[in-house]
Amino acid sequence: MLELNDVQARYGAIIALRGVSINVSQGELVALLGVNGAGKSTTLGCIAGVLRPWQGSISFEGVSILGKSPEQIARLGISLVPEGRDIFPSLTVEENLRLGAFTQREKSEYRRKLDEVYDLFPVLKERLQQPGGTLSGGEQQQLAIARALMSSPRLLMLDEPSLGLAPALVDQIFELIAHLHQTGVTILLVEQNVDRTLEIVDRAYLMNTGRIESQGGAEQLRTHTDIEGIYMGVKTQPKK
Amino acid sequence: MKLAARLKPLDTPLTLVAVVVVLALLVQLAGIDLLTRIVTVMFVSIMLVLGLQLYMGNSGILNFAHIGFMGIGAYTAVLFSMTPEAKILTNSDLYPFLVPLHLPFVPSLLIGGLVAALFAALISYPLMRLSDAAAVITSFALLVIIHVVLLHWDRVSNGPRTLFGVDNYTTLWVSVVFAVITIFAVYFFKESRIGLRLRASRDDRYAAASIGINMVVMRWLAFVASAFIAGVGGGLWAHFITSFTPYSFYLNETFVVLAMLVIGGPYSVSGAVVGTLVVTTAREVLRGIENQVNIMQIFPQGFFGFTEVVLSVVLILILVYRPTGIMGNRELHWPRRRGEAKPAEPTETET
Amino acid sequence: MVNLEFIINTLSLGSLYAMLALGLVIVYGILKLVNFAYGELIMVGGYTMYLLTFYTPLPWLTVVILAVVAAMLTSLFTELVAFRPVREKSLTAMLITSFAVSTLLQNGALLIISPRARAVTLPQIFQTSVMIAGTSVPWRNILTILTCILTLTLLTLLLRRTVLGIALRAAADNFTMTRMLGVPANTVISTAFAISGIMAGIVSIFWIGRSGSVTPTLGAPPLLVAFVATVIGGMNSLTGAVVGGFVYAIIISLLGVILPPGLVEFREAFMFAFVILILVFRPEGLVRSKTSVERIG
Repeated sequence: MLELNDVQARYGAIIALRGVSINVSQGELVALLGVNGAGKSTTLGCIAGVLRPWQGSISFEGVSILGKSPEQIARLGISLVPEGRDIFPSLTVEENLRLGAFTQREKSEYRRKLDEVYDLFPVLKERLQQPGGTLSGGEQQQLAIARALMSSPRLLMLDEPSLGLAPALVDQIFELIAHLHQTGVTILLVEQNVDRTLEIVDRAYLMNTGRIESQGGAEQLRTHTDIEGIYMGVKTQPKK
Repeated sequence: MKLAARLKPLDTPLTLVAVVVVLALLVQLAGIDLLTRIVTVMFVSIMLVLGLQLYMGNSGILNFAHIGFMGIGAYTAVLFSMTPEAKILTNSDLYPFLVPLHLPFVPSLLIGGLVAALFAALISYPLMRLSDAAAVITSFALLVIIHVVLLHWDRVSNGPRTLFGVDNYTTLWVSVVFAVITIFAVYFFKESRIGLRLRASRDDRYAAASIGINMVVMRWLAFVASAFIAGVGGGLWAHFITSFTPYSFYLNETFVVLAMLVIGGPYSVSGAVVGTLVVTTAREVLRGIENQVNIMQIFPQGFFGFTEVVLSVVLILILVYRPTGIMGNRELHWPRRRGEAKPAEPTETET
Repeated sequence: MVNLEFIINTLSLGSLYAMLALGLVIVYGILKLVNFAYGELIMVGGYTMYLLTFYTPLPWLTVVILAVVAAMLTSLFTELVAFRPVREKSLTAMLITSFAVSTLLQNGALLIISPRARAVTLPQIFQTSVMIAGTSVPWRNILTILTCILTLTLLTLLLRRTVLGIALRAAADNFTMTRMLGVPANTVISTAFAISGIMAGIVSIFWIGRSGSVTPTLGAPPLLVAFVATVIGGMNSLTGAVVGGFVYAIIISLLGVILPPGLVEFREAFMFAFVILILVFRPEGLVRSKTSVERIG
């Protein structure tokens, strides 16, 4: 469904991605792991059209999306929930959700997604008329994900959804992601919480300084790669 | 051999100076009064645009207050350079303590520059921490404040009335000397440590954010230096035009100087000089067309504003198609003999 | 003397300044661009009124509507031709562009029409007054206040009840995120410029209504007012712009009464010094909003 090939990107003089190749098939739950600055958010940004790579290719369902604008990519069915949630603080919860459904043409579809979202996130229904900026961190995270779901995305990308949340909420988020996966949503997940992530994903890529260091099934990565070593700054040595 | 080697790093300012001096010589030889006047004011403009380049080119921040400092320098310089009698004649309301002040031409200019620089120094320090958007707005606010003060402080500036009777001290060669000095000064600033650091922060905002307090001081120094040059330039201009009002130092002048810098290329000293040359020439040609059309009475209501219309269209086109201006990021160099290595050039960056 | 006449005058002035500030903020909120050409949109409205009243027998109401349309179309045109191509480059490029567009429009008027002021025939109603509680109140002032109320109501409805309006407000919060939800950038920005033009057109009616004539430099004073009002109100908030407009009107009117003759001409300088102080010490403006976030910087 999604294929990146040798994507290279930079911010001004800083080279952020040095040739990233990943792919995600329909219905999969794939993770991008790595420390801060590894290039995970940059990769998502390139897919979403916010950052333009200067080399490589990105294709979605066989069609190249490199160089398309963020709004064009959103209309293709790719939704990104950025790090830091980026909900609209001066809009109410309802208005946030309404905008999430912008690419949704059908009025009835909109109602249906709204009900779905209320089921998944009952707290949002309670706070419907409150400005987004008054919600707590956990509630904002739920709103951000709910907003992304409103457009029935074909590919959902989440950037560190558990960041800064209390442990109980972290559990909730991971359960939610697993649940969404089960309902058939294709998800590309960026996370720093390695253990929890590997519990729920099909496959994962490990990034380091703009490159893919290793990849494989969750089980494979857990036992064969020195994940901790990467996070501690020690070079990866595959366990024999 | 040794001399050429030692002069090599100076080849940009020397080239620019050569252009200026050769131009001045040609004009002197031609002996046409109008041409001499045009070129004299052009050299003063070069100084003003260079002053703006020093700040904008290195820090990357738009500064609308520049012409305001020109105005401060102009009014201050004439307060010192005019005889007490001349001052009373043009402004009978002048504060008594200002009347007896009288200094020769050059010290008056320098004091004008110093007053402008002092004002800039005091006012601008807290403004240096602001983000780009806020910095631009505050610089615009400064321009307005200076203008309103000059417009209404009758006892100093003669208010909205024309201040006349200024001696015409700014001759062709006076303006050449000041232009040459400014070319060297601005070039040396650009190549100095301050200049290099400022440009590093301009090119990479992310890195700049972590540099902290030094950045503010360096920006401030550049701002003050820029204001000094504007002040002296203002004084020079005042002694060329010999009569003016506060309206000479407001939005129209700001537009012209900005156009000269942006069209020429805001990121290099050569850009400032080239831009001034190109725009001055264009303006004179367009003005000539305007006058001709008016003389021939083609349009009954008069043909005015043509020059500015063309200039603003050109400015917009440059911003769209070549935002780094005519010079791009590059400086002018002395033409090389075959076989010599080219000096390292910075890569083009967007505005 | 702060009496009924003063109060109604100030309210009327505040209404005018509020609408003025709104037109500037709506573009600034999304693009972070101070549109220096905004004042010239008012000038365009003024010249449209002049041309129509001078050369055609059209009734005043039609003239006024066409003036608003002209200002809106000019705004859209400048966006399409000058601002859109520069948008991706940098804020500085956009600012210089807006300055260039301002000069272009001003001198365009100079060139096409005349450097001299042109009188605009005002309708009867702008010259009559009505007695309220013993004071003579110009109809013009009442109309200004009523127009402001009507405009604010319509604008609020647009921004709160329509998807486009919600998208506009979202764009002011976070433009990139809005695009990532599929909202086309060009649509949002064009709408903002259109609203900006409409506000300028409406303001031009009452601005000309006060002065009775139009010149190419008509746009400069209202631009400065809009400037100060938006900074007072916090540059990013539409409510703030409205409040800022009224606050500016109150302050400048009071200064006109309070300041001694030697200082009163410097009113504008004081206002702009005030602007600098706000930007340095309280960039979010004087208006406390529910979701105050550091907007500038």
